[in-house]
Amino acid sequence: MLRKRLPVGLRQLLAHWRPAALLALGGAVVGSCASQPEVARAVPGTGQPANFPAMVYGLAKNQPDAATFELGRRLFYDPRLSSDGRVSCGSCHQAAAAFAHAGQRVSPGVAGRRATRNAPALQNLRWRHGFMADGGVLSLELQTLAPLTSPEEMNTPLATALAKLNADPEYRRLFAASYGPGQIDTPQFLRALAQFTAALTSANSRYDKYVRHETGGMLTAPEQRGRALFAAKCSSCHATDLFTDESFRNNGLDRTFARDSGRAHITSRATDRGRFQVPSLRNVARTAPYMHDGRFATLAQVLAHYDHGVQPSATLDPLLHQPGGRLGIALSAAQQAELLAFLQTLTDDAFLTDRRLAPLTDAVITKSASPMAARN
Amino acid sequence: MKSHSSSLLLASLLTTAVAFSGCKRDGDSQPTVGTVSLTVTNVVGTQPLALDGTAYTTASGETFTVSTFEYYLSNIKFTKSDGTTYAAPNEYHLVNTAKPASTSFTISNVPTGDYTGVSFIVGVDSTTTKGDPLALTGDLNPANAMHWAWNTGHIFLKLEGSVTSASPSKALTCHIGGYRAPYSAIVTAAPSLNGATLLVRAGQSPKIALTADVLKIFDGPTKFALSNFPTTMMPSAASVQVANNYANGMFAVKQIQAN
Repeated sequence: MLRKRLPVGLRQLLAHWRPAALLALGGAVVGSCASQPEVARAVPGTGQPANFPAMVYGLAKNQPDAATFELGRRLFYDPRLSSDGRVSCGSCHQAAAAFAHAGQRVSPGVAGRRATRNAPALQNLRWRHGFMADGGVLSLELQTLAPLTSPEEMNTPLATALAKLNADPEYRRLFAASYGPGQIDTPQFLRALAQFTAALTSANSRYDKYVRHETGGMLTAPEQRGRALFAAKCSSCHATDLFTDESFRNNGLDRTFARDSGRAHITSRATDRGRFQVPSLRNVARTAPYMHDGRFATLAQVLAHYDHGVQPSATLDPLLHQPGGRLGIALSAAQQAELLAFLQTLTDDAFLTDRRLAPLTDAVITKSASPMAARN
Repeated sequence: MKSHSSSLLLASLLTTAVAFSGCKRDGDSQPTVGTVSLTVTNVVGTQPLALDGTAYTTASGETFTVSTFEYYLSNIKFTKSDGTTYAAPNEYHLVNTAKPASTSFTISNVPTGDYTGVSFIVGVDSTTTKGDPLALTGDLNPANAMHWAWNTGHIFLKLEGSVTSASPSKALTCHIGGYRAPYSAIVTAAPSLNGATLLVRAGQSPKIALTADVLKIFDGPTKFALSNFPTTMMPSAASVQVANNYANGMFAVKQIQAN
């Protein structure tokens, strides 16, 4: 956004002097939202919401910068990074669905191939310790490589992606502006994409405003009853205002796990079979379908599952064993309605409609499309 | 010993300081570090390994070809006869049979002395795996296709080819990696110097010539027939067995050259 407003000369000056400028600005960015200078303000999602725990991927790990954020955004929405030139990160992670894939149980990758898991929402990734439903990926930067290289998703080896970027004059120019002249390399690519994925902060739902006592933070009586029910019945796993404790749990979807063993796919341990990372529930009303395989189309189905659909297995989470041998979480129809009302308050429209996170306009993409497209 | 190692440390710090300042002061003081070269020749038994479709035969008469053979050598340590060791920092080398230049490398700043042992991790340590991904450059670059994107970490050893004695022939796919208990495949090889001593002296560059024998991947503490050699693409009990095989006997010291 900023890039468009500033005259070219000033942009180049900023790019040139960025390291010094960022050193000078760093303190202001972390210290106070109100005094954020123009350069930092152009990058969304850099603030520390008062009701969140401390960031895991702190600003200093990849200092937010308007031009590099825009570069990351361009990469995120660029289908030329896939082997058939049709699938971008943004194909399956759509802003209006909190960067999940609306209505897709399992998203199609290149050549229409489908893997086994539902595209998860991407939000508040700065606060995550591990990535993927099985926790296999250890950092936000490396997360990029999983969908990029997966044969069922973008199907592009990292070396190929780097070669494509290096063959594109526009990318060469943009990377050079952020990282200096020379070949575009792995750390630059991972850092640039992480500038965008780290910016996907959702912290302004009605619920957030309620807990922070801000204007617009009203919950109705049923929503408040839903909140109390949530605290009693759901928050041991969907913990903190991130609505996940990031643990791996078997929530009783299946009795056997031949199709997807979850955490055991990473650890090869029998005790991890069928365990998946507890997802955040932020914007959950917009991230259907649900579960790691997208089996439930509605939140009502999810609540019905917890009430009476939980299947027994050796690794079923202890919290789903009730006294008397009953499985799941007993929820009356009225309680389910109140929980649903509460979950709606986690929708953050400002995030879902933030134009800074939307795809670049067609004009911007096509301007530089030809050189790389010719290589596909 | 204590005063000796302190002065060694001080001297190597001084040497480092000189190296960093870019000054050359010949004759100022006796340098106390030398360089060791390592070279690995990949073989199958007594034959050199070729990736051109050459068929090799195991002891039990099964045949196979190799199309890819790559592995990491890291955390190289040199041991003196008194048991003290020097651990060379930041040594990560990807040996790729398809790239002859990758089969030799040098280790600088090894304190002078008489070494009677060498060891190295065949793979990458967990500290590096869990560390800053942006430090993964050079041989550790994930773009080298020796890195798992879905289960963060390097592939420690990759052997690909075909078991041609199987009917029909069967793919030989062996990707070993993983650092988590109980299936950590981080193994250390310590090939014997066969009684020889590695004399590290200033201004000399002794060379350790190693062989890496593919057959030992199948034939070590665990004996695998190629007909049922496991396809390993993720950490598992089988991948740990394979790793223990190559830790115990794949590498052998053929020669130590004084300079």
